[in-house]
Amino acid sequence: MIAVDDISTILSSGIRLTIPLAFAACGEYLAERAGAMNISVEAMMLGAAFGSVATASATGSATTGLVAGVLIGLLIGFVHGNLSHRLEINTFVIGLVLNALVLGLTSYLITVSSFESHQVSQVSIPWLRDIPLIGHPLFVERWPVYLLIVLVPLTWWLVERSRWGLELRAVGEQPQAADVTGIRVNLRRRQALLWCGALAGLGGAYLAVGEVGSFNQNMTAGRGYIVIAAVIFGAWRLRRTLIGCALFGLADAMRLALPALGLTMNSQLLVVAPYLLALLAMLFFANQNREPRALGQPFERGST
Amino acid sequence: MNEVREDLRQDSPQRPGRKPHPAPGTDDTSGRRLLAFLTPSAGGWQTGLATVVGVLVALALSSLLIAVTGGSPLASVQALFQGSMANWTAWTSTLLYAAPLLLVAVGACVSARSGTFNIGQEGQVLIGALFGAWVGLRLAVPGPLLLVIVLLAASLAGGAWAALSSLMYRIRGVNIVVSTLLMIFIAQQLVAFAVNTSWLLQESRIGDAIVSPQSNPLPAGALLGSVGEYPNLQVNGGLLLALVGAVLVAVALARTRWGFRLTMLGLNPLAAKHAGVRVNALGGMALAISGAFAGLAGAVLLTSPVGVNRLQSGIAMNIGWDGMLVALVARNRPLLTIPVALLFGVLRSGGGFLAATGVPPFLVDVVKALLVLAFVAPPVIVAMIRRRRAGVRTARAEHRPAPVAEGAAL
Amino acid sequence: MTEDERARELTPPSAPALRLRGISKSYGPVVACDAVDLAVHQGEIHGLLGENGAGKSTLMKILLGLVQRDAGTILHHDGPVDIGSPQEAVALGIGMVHQHFSLINPLTVWENVILGDTGKIDKGAACDQVRDVSQRYGLPIDPLAKVERLSAGERQRVELIKCLRRDPSVLILDEPTSVLTQAESAELFGVLRHVVRSENRAVILISHKLAEITAATDRVTVLRKGKVVFQSATAETGPQELARQMVGREVSLGSEAAALGLLPVEPPRTGESGTGKVETSVAALRLRGLTVTVDGVRVLSDLDLDVAPGEIVGLYGVEGNGQSNLGDVLSGLVLPDSGSVEISGRPVDLNRPGALHAAGLGIVPEDRHASGVVLDMSVAENLVMKSLNAVSGRAFVSRRKTHEVARRLAAEFNIVTPSMDTPVRSLSGGNQQRVVLARELSAGPLVLVAAQPTHGLDVGAIEDMYRRLRDVASGGVAVLLISTELEEVMALSSRIAVISSGRITGVLSTGEATAERLGMLVGGVAA
Repeated sequence: MIAVDDISTILSSGIRLTIPLAFAACGEYLAERAGAMNISVEAMMLGAAFGSVATASATGSATTGLVAGVLIGLLIGFVHGNLSHRLEINTFVIGLVLNALVLGLTSYLITVSSFESHQVSQVSIPWLRDIPLIGHPLFVERWPVYLLIVLVPLTWWLVERSRWGLELRAVGEQPQAADVTGIRVNLRRRQALLWCGALAGLGGAYLAVGEVGSFNQNMTAGRGYIVIAAVIFGAWRLRRTLIGCALFGLADAMRLALPALGLTMNSQLLVVAPYLLALLAMLFFANQNREPRALGQPFERGST
Repeated sequence: MNEVREDLRQDSPQRPGRKPHPAPGTDDTSGRRLLAFLTPSAGGWQTGLATVVGVLVALALSSLLIAVTGGSPLASVQALFQGSMANWTAWTSTLLYAAPLLLVAVGACVSARSGTFNIGQEGQVLIGALFGAWVGLRLAVPGPLLLVIVLLAASLAGGAWAALSSLMYRIRGVNIVVSTLLMIFIAQQLVAFAVNTSWLLQESRIGDAIVSPQSNPLPAGALLGSVGEYPNLQVNGGLLLALVGAVLVAVALARTRWGFRLTMLGLNPLAAKHAGVRVNALGGMALAISGAFAGLAGAVLLTSPVGVNRLQSGIAMNIGWDGMLVALVARNRPLLTIPVALLFGVLRSGGGFLAATGVPPFLVDVVKALLVLAFVAPPVIVAMIRRRRAGVRTARAEHRPAPVAEGAAL
Repeated sequence: MTEDERARELTPPSAPALRLRGISKSYGPVVACDAVDLAVHQGEIHGLLGENGAGKSTLMKILLGLVQRDAGTILHHDGPVDIGSPQEAVALGIGMVHQHFSLINPLTVWENVILGDTGKIDKGAACDQVRDVSQRYGLPIDPLAKVERLSAGERQRVELIKCLRRDPSVLILDEPTSVLTQAESAELFGVLRHVVRSENRAVILISHKLAEITAATDRVTVLRKGKVVFQSATAETGPQELARQMVGREVSLGSEAAALGLLPVEPPRTGESGTGKVETSVAALRLRGLTVTVDGVRVLSDLDLDVAPGEIVGLYGVEGNGQSNLGDVLSGLVLPDSGSVEISGRPVDLNRPGALHAAGLGIVPEDRHASGVVLDMSVAENLVMKSLNAVSGRAFVSRRKTHEVARRLAAEFNIVTPSMDTPVRSLSGGNQQRVVLARELSAGPLVLVAAQPTHGLDVGAIEDMYRRLRDVASGGVAVLLISTELEEVMALSSRIAVISSGRITGVLSTGEATAERLGMLVGGVAA
């Protein structure tokens, strides 16, 4: 029998596992709407996680670490953007190379150095935290979590309501048409990748200096790919993407909670859920997809 | 007169780098063909130069990394050499790694040349190993025959796994790059499930011993042995398999009707369809072949002394990822994958010796990633600079949307 | 008197809205614009005439900030300006009405209209503006509609509104009528008249069609090989003069008119070259009930058509009425929902790849780059790619046989190439087209389908193509010519079938085809 406490614990850990995904998913969602498919989101998260811990250790401030994480995410977004949307090297290749590079580099660096542990502070909201079952999971969190309350609507507003977002969507759908209309296609994509880098960086940094407090080798362990799966699962809509993140976070929490609950079942199904669901979503909801038509395709003026 | 006029408004009047030859009818001299073959790619000397510069930058950056973290670049190079080429034992280990890398890379060439970018080799390797192990442990067939069956089962399984992506594309338009990527993670969990489940492939309990998440060792008859007799060097059968595969694929692509059609498909799927090529079947087959090579690599990992001859979750050792990188560095030319796979094998077997010098073995991963960049970027950059110089296409050409090749070939 | 002096003398006194002086642009060794002088005045429609590749588009791209000039000055109301980006062009009041690719289909009309602006988005204001502009010019459109649901004519309206909303002082239209029916073209020119007369804007109309230029413009400039070769008030010149200037030599409007976008003065009499007697009763090509649906839209509905051996049938219609879909079906790229294709009385199993080719149908596809040739394969490979059996054994392709076949075809079809191993990419457009034609004819087809065979070719290459098509027909092959150029269809075919909204609205013999009757049919009205 599963107790209420257990549910609360799983919920709580599920939310914590969702947060990094949600940050990064906001970024990846925006980038993909602009047609920029970047699997380097994994590199952004991992690099940011390492950078935040290293900076926090050097400065003694977890918040500075968080900022450093965002900057590293931006840097990787900048590199990816310039290699694949200025030099026009295949974006998947760049993504794979960046993932391999950052994984190698962070593994190398963490082996030759050691860092102090730092964590951002926790904020608990009076009264609300006392609501049974969901009070603690939702309202006792490290403070960066509350950034989501701003960043999610902001991302939505940017894509759906701002002029920049209108141009991003145009670029993601028909880059040639956007170009003759006077929109700088590759510039918009590079900007989208910067946004993606910043948010994925925030997600990775939050994972490191928010949840764990330290860095270990291959810390993100494929969370970037889960984020991509979430955007696919969400059929390129922000709300469904975030639901996907929550679902995948919860599945991860379940997996971790299995031994504590005394359940002896194989966890593979829970681990595989995000990828399986993303594939199934593509297979069965293909008609409702808002997949940007130019997703993953390079653009060069006159190359039509 | 008219010819001159038309040249004025041509999209790319004479592809630069390939000089027009003076007179028609003097074509097909084998010398020129050989030359064209030896040229690294459509880029000419600029690409070659840029690649050399890129490699030097990559090596410089890696050295810098070592120096900054307090190591000695020179010692690291020595260690890499010690572990990979200094003696026959080192060579043996290098070749053991090179074989599966080469297999994966050759497969990657096939799909890339057909215009499909398969990035799911890591998963296809795992599925190959999984089914190879299952067949090898379940069938009671004597010696060498069992080995053949294991290898075949692994290739079929890897091919079928890749073909699933092609099927999903065909029935629902699911992007092949994305689906092959996602299928990696599914394959990983399938293997994990198999080695954690006693009625599947988890090792049998002997007495009260703790059971690990791995399979029983494969019977000796199902293992790949060495080929030839040398004092200390062992050349595993897997390498021979891979070399034969590379040569066969190279010949098939260059000379056969199948290769002709595949090249057509990769360069212009619409024209290929127009010319009567069964586009879906041929493309799906190319993807499946690429998966089959990866699956075979999985079987080689399972049956050659590179591992412990048991199925484990980590059996793929990133060979799938690296093999794909090998193909990228070789720019999808099957014969060029041979030296590149060897280089990557060197990095792998040398990496283990780095620890002695105080440099983490992860250095090798950094070097590999930088090398790939050094090889992938130059042709693109050179081509882009040329296009910028040659200018944009004519207005007429701009009115037409380019056929969109699924999976964005390189 | 130099061209320059002549141009200056002809310039009316009012200050030009836009003046170009000595504009040059080269792409590597290719000179696209060579010291071009051009003055466009307020209140006039200025025609810019030239063959494909004469430099019209490059010039306009320079004005729009899409391409940077190498030399020369641009004067805007007599002040020198630099146009470094499309945004700067908009700021100067230069607006372009694009024909293709400037609307984003999944976005709504109002979103498309404000695309490229700056500042905050105000949906209400944008919609009001759209309604306002659409009322002022008589271009009805729903601002909330998604562009993907609009017809070609409606999209044209959106383009116009998008451009006019920005209150441009100079409007540029690039080949605007290629996708329009005659009625829609008339609407467009009506709006342009209004814009010029009552609002005193300047319009640049780019075209390669003489008829359009002489009918709609006030002044005309002819470009040839990147140079301005002629400028005049339209009223003071005529088709003959313009044609001569455009091509650079004397032309008889009779035989070459079609290539220049004019109706032939005398339509060819039946029985003349290429239109051999139709004697056999069995049609070489018989299409019955072809229906094709794309994205839920019926692009071909119940299409019937017969072509007899030895005749050229022209399939004429405005772009986007199903011609390209028919081309796709006959190329084997698309399977029809229903209907049949018969060749010499034998039905073809369209499910089998290459069945049409095997049954004796050759096709010169509409877009040779997209589906006609593989640009990065060699001339030899492109020539044999449809008949691999002839040059290969069970498994291997014989390089020797490939080259034998290729050399023979290259000689026969005058394909000019440095070598048989040259990639087709580096051939000229005319030679690429000859590669396609040679390959298709080498199989000895019973039927040849030529879809827009002269698109993007210059006059010389066009004439060559016409001659070859006539030869093919007189050799007993049934030729189906799919074209949007009325002049081309009139010049070549013995019968003209008109396609509108995916169905054949009528079949006329060339003798009874008049512009009026064809116009009615194109508009979907049975004549």
